[in-house]
Amino acid sequence: MKKLALTGLMAVTLVGCGSSEPQVLNLYNWSEYMPQEVLDRFQEETGVQVIYTTYDSNEAMYARLKLLDDSAQYDLAVPSTYYVNKMRKEGLLAPIDHSQLTGFNNMDPELINLNIDPDNAYSVPFLWGTTGLAYDADDVEGEPAAWADLWDEAYQGRIVLTNDMREVFHVGLRVLGYSGNSTNPEEIEAAYEKLADLMPAVRTFNSDAPRMPYLEGETDIGMIWNGEAVMGKEDMPSLEFVYPEEGVIVWLDSFVIPKNAKNIEAAHQFISFVMRPDISALISEEIGYATPNLEARNQLEAEVANDRTSYPTPEDMVNAEFQEDVGDEALQLYNKYWELLKAGR
Amino acid sequence: MTKGARQPFRTAVLILVWGWLLMLVLAPNLLVVGTSVLSRDPAEFIRLPFTLDNYIRLMDPLYLDVFLHSLYMAAVTTICCLIIGYPFAWALSRVSKRRQTLLVFLLIVPFWTNSLVRTYALKLLLATNGLINNALLAIGVIDEPLTLLYTELAVIIGLVYLLLPFMILPLYSVFDDLRDELLLASHDLGAGRWSTFVHVVVPLTLPGVLAGVLLVLLPAMGMFYVADVLGGSRNLLVGNVIKNQFLDARDWPFGAAASVLLTVAMAVLLFAHRLSRRRLGEEGG
Repeated sequence: MKKLALTGLMAVTLVGCGSSEPQVLNLYNWSEYMPQEVLDRFQEETGVQVIYTTYDSNEAMYARLKLLDDSAQYDLAVPSTYYVNKMRKEGLLAPIDHSQLTGFNNMDPELINLNIDPDNAYSVPFLWGTTGLAYDADDVEGEPAAWADLWDEAYQGRIVLTNDMREVFHVGLRVLGYSGNSTNPEEIEAAYEKLADLMPAVRTFNSDAPRMPYLEGETDIGMIWNGEAVMGKEDMPSLEFVYPEEGVIVWLDSFVIPKNAKNIEAAHQFISFVMRPDISALISEEIGYATPNLEARNQLEAEVANDRTSYPTPEDMVNAEFQEDVGDEALQLYNKYWELLKAGR
Repeated sequence: MTKGARQPFRTAVLILVWGWLLMLVLAPNLLVVGTSVLSRDPAEFIRLPFTLDNYIRLMDPLYLDVFLHSLYMAAVTTICCLIIGYPFAWALSRVSKRRQTLLVFLLIVPFWTNSLVRTYALKLLLATNGLINNALLAIGVIDEPLTLLYTELAVIIGLVYLLLPFMILPLYSVFDDLRDELLLASHDLGAGRWSTFVHVVVPLTLPGVLAGVLLVLLPAMGMFYVADVLGGSRNLLVGNVIKNQFLDARDWPFGAAASVLLTVAMAVLLFAHRLSRRRLGEEGG
């Protein structure tokens, strides 16, 4: 056993030595959110090697960035909408040098200069998407059309929810007719009680790859990210994506450069690379989320461009709501009820 | 060798050992204890003033429930490990020395693969369209797939699988020391098989049992990734609560308090272990 421990120690030391090589870009991203081909081509064209590390929640990403702030472990991260705002306000981000970027003018005017980051001083949109309802048409009778349908007793033990506090509460709040960004303690409590009724029917939470419980046959209905639904449908044609009547959850994920990043130049290079229409189109085709790049949208294969799951029609977006920062006070309340939800059996 | 020549070496070793303990054991634990009595800060994680609120919150029925459920799952895991590990270790100590080396080696081989990877592998076995269900369906034992994954059972299977070697190894070491002469003597003095087992074998292997229980019970309560991957984030362990507090809720003081609680539980068990060894007259062993 002692030998084993010693070997482990040596391995750690070796890994520690390896990380100081020049021309490396440390990208910290959601799991399954960047095709390997893009990373390979970037290295081919620029010689910069991308070290790809993943997370499965904004909270986890934020906690690590906050901790590793001074040691600058990451050169790029991809927080969701409201986290850009939070991190920008807390001074965790380095400003984007727009003179180093090419292709920013291709961005959809509706997705830039948002109130989360005026003038995109700290962030560049990467992809946007929705969290909606999915079901396995082979195993579910009828056609679920609303979040409220999850409460149907027929689905006992067959439901999957994303392992994302804000998204799950968004559903609870919308079903009751409140805003998914509510900061009203009474509304949040009501949403908690509504969700607590659902809990015994929930089989699992998943934010690594929410399509997997459907593919594994463990769950038949629940929440899913639209890109996951696109990827899932390739393996399981009976997986249907629905824009629920109460409205989908909309989010925008953006590139940010953590303050004290080591390789700021490569970070800008990478952002520019991803903004290239051909690359951006490739990413959208590969992982099923929508590109904010208008030029890239023109280059998409017709099959992808017309896929309502990736690119919703205006009717699909009725009642849709963008996730917003709710502030720390409300967040603590959400946290408290989230713990109660998950620990309650 | 003269005494003078030995001294620098001894000093160096002592400095190394003490330095190690102070830097990597005492300091981190003090930081955890220190954090557990501070207040939460939304931006900087922790801030003054000192408070015991975090410990009071731990007494909340919610967390007490999680703790008890976690203890229950860990206890079932320990009992399963003991039931499998005890005869296994006995059998292991009875085969030829060469075989023993090979078998112990095989026991350790899985450690070369990361335990998280092995947990994901178990998922493939337990899934509704997994190997176990497909095999049982194929030979006609069941008509409908069993619900195994994302259940309490799955978490316990995962924990037993990962922790079994920690039960077997200390048991193997006590069985290896158990001399055949003692069993023969017991037999010669008229004791039957059962009587020999209860009065000779059990007392002599008890230290191994206690060591095994210690090595399984507490780690089982902390292995959050097993509950995450196999339990579907539903069957929480104390480890999940700690991880969630540090990473998701960003309430470090509360997470630290939960972790201190686990450490205290460990200390109590170690103390009990020491007492029982002393009673068995095995001190210094």
